[in-house]
Amino acid sequence: MSKTFDRFTGIAFLLIGLLFVIESRSISKSAYGSSVGPDIFPTVLGIILILLSLRLLFETMKYERAEGKKESVQYVKFLIIFISAAVYATVLEPLGYVISTFIFLLIAFQTMERGKWISSLLIAGAFSFGVYYFFAEFLGGSLPGFPEF
Amino acid sequence: MSTLDFLFNGFAVAFQWQNIMFAFVGVLIGTAVGVLPGIGPMSGVALLIPVTATLTSGMPTEAAAASSIILLAGVYYGAMYGGSTTSILLNTPGESSSVVTTLDGYQMAKQGRAGAALSIAAIGSFAAGIISLIGLVLLAEPLSKIALKFGPAEYFSLMLLGLCAVSGLAGKSMTKALIMTIFGLLLATIGIDAVSGIARFTYDLPILYSGLEFLTIAVGLFALGEVFKTILERDKEDGAIAKINRILPTKKDLKDSAVPIVRGSLLGFFIGVLPGAGATLASFFSYMTEKKFSKHPEKFGTGVIAGVAGPESANNAASGGAMIPLLTLGIPGSGTTAILMGALIMYNIQPGPLLFEDHPEVAWGLIASMFIGNLMLLVLNMPLVKVFAKIIQTPKKYLLPIIVAISFFGVYAVQYTTFDLYLLLACGVLGYLLAKNDYPLAPLVLALVLGPMIENNMRRALTISNGDFSIFISKPLSLAFIIAAVAWLVVPLLMKLKGRNVIVNDEE
Repeated sequence: MSKTFDRFTGIAFLLIGLLFVIESRSISKSAYGSSVGPDIFPTVLGIILILLSLRLLFETMKYERAEGKKESVQYVKFLIIFISAAVYATVLEPLGYVISTFIFLLIAFQTMERGKWISSLLIAGAFSFGVYYFFAEFLGGSLPGFPEF
Repeated sequence: MSTLDFLFNGFAVAFQWQNIMFAFVGVLIGTAVGVLPGIGPMSGVALLIPVTATLTSGMPTEAAAASSIILLAGVYYGAMYGGSTTSILLNTPGESSSVVTTLDGYQMAKQGRAGAALSIAAIGSFAAGIISLIGLVLLAEPLSKIALKFGPAEYFSLMLLGLCAVSGLAGKSMTKALIMTIFGLLLATIGIDAVSGIARFTYDLPILYSGLEFLTIAVGLFALGEVFKTILERDKEDGAIAKINRILPTKKDLKDSAVPIVRGSLLGFFIGVLPGAGATLASFFSYMTEKKFSKHPEKFGTGVIAGVAGPESANNAASGGAMIPLLTLGIPGSGTTAILMGALIMYNIQPGPLLFEDHPEVAWGLIASMFIGNLMLLVLNMPLVKVFAKIIQTPKKYLLPIIVAISFFGVYAVQYTTFDLYLLLACGVLGYLLAKNDYPLAPLVLALVLGPMIENNMRRALTISNGDFSIFISKPLSLAFIIAAVAWLVVPLLMKLKGRNVIVNDEE
């Protein structure tokens, strides 16, 4: 539990609640003559969320906990994998499933642990080709397989 | 037709060759999911939805729904079986519902009785599966008959009760659990409003008109969140795996665990039926009960077989019990059943009291297939326990990237949008951060699935009453549900004020 994170989320959810309440006001009021329009539910929920996040902020005032225990967090590995996953998402359609998946898996495997290129290549290749052929050819699903030249 | 006729027809559905295959694949993958640390039943079921959707694409809707729900439910209760394996062999639970199994299970393994512990866990799970199924068969019809009399007001209050129960028990801080619930409900309002057809919070982005896909959010929060956590905090390598010598339990083991199995099954079943209290809580209660009933309570924690048999039966029975509110009332009581419900809705089949009338083959086919699935699990687990123990050793460096790739494939194959892939990644980071700071994720997913139904029932009730909110407390049943909902939130608070420890339910 970190106090700063709780404070941050408290404020974030407070703003989200406010956003929903304010935005609900621009939804038209009534549907087919019913007195209960589409705006009521989000408005009420937004108000509850505001109240709850105020309570969370209040709670963070109360507890004093400065845990000095630092965990060793591997940001670099995570960032490389996260960014390559984001790139994977972007190029999936233009580059096709097989190539993009293969490259992503290769990068991720090597990021997790250097070396053993042959098994990395084999597993990445087997997975990307295997899934594509099983899904698209055998099951008849649709996936963008290869880039269209 | 009587219940028995329906059950018979259910078996006819379950014995179709493709459904036997589906049940088999389901329990097999489920056991693997249970064994592998990092994927829980919730992400396992969510990841398989797109695969089943494709597998069943050629079939008529109802048969397709029956087949895929058979597979997905198989993953669910299969994972309960598999979860015990790592608890016993490695002292690291594969699922939160197997945490208490480590207490005595690992001790047994240290004494060289790993095989006995594993097989008792399998036998107990099997007995529990059968007992909870009998309960399901007996309770399903009468409950859905009662539920048919519910109006929108009753439904609204009942779903409110479900949400309150899950939030009241989840996580360490109720404020945080409630925030997650409300946040889930708010996310569910994004998209075109089903009643009036007005677009809400879409900002003219066509991608948002159909709302945020629950599958994407569930896979992101649970599967990717867990992967990110393991990448970031990958600490020590796992310890050595205990050896399995003799698989079959001795006669004394069987005798010692017979009563705990029955007790654990019954307890687990009733806890499972309650919304919010799932398998984790059931196994915990069972362990405490066994300790209380035992003649040598001081021996617990040193490798007593009752301490494995009871909780393992209880968590399996609870997963069977949890199907009851889902199938008869259409209200999931836990994160995993919420995802099962989402899968049924994808096939345009609404779980609830009408399920047994409108789609008997889906409802009874599922129940019958659970009989078969449990039998398969027993047959699979006894001889193959050593094989499953091998799965634990799958190196994480290959496993984690492949889980990411499967998540991408799963989401893309259903949604066909790059937007959902970005959403998936965002949810992964969010899931990691939230879970790390004690924000429970199950209420969010549950609220996301229940959100549209709660809103529609609320508005229908208010339309009937001309906007008068007193309709929710003037109907006796609805009032009872609301009182129960409030009690669920207030009682733990009062107990905390009194300084008592409240057992909380973890994610499952």
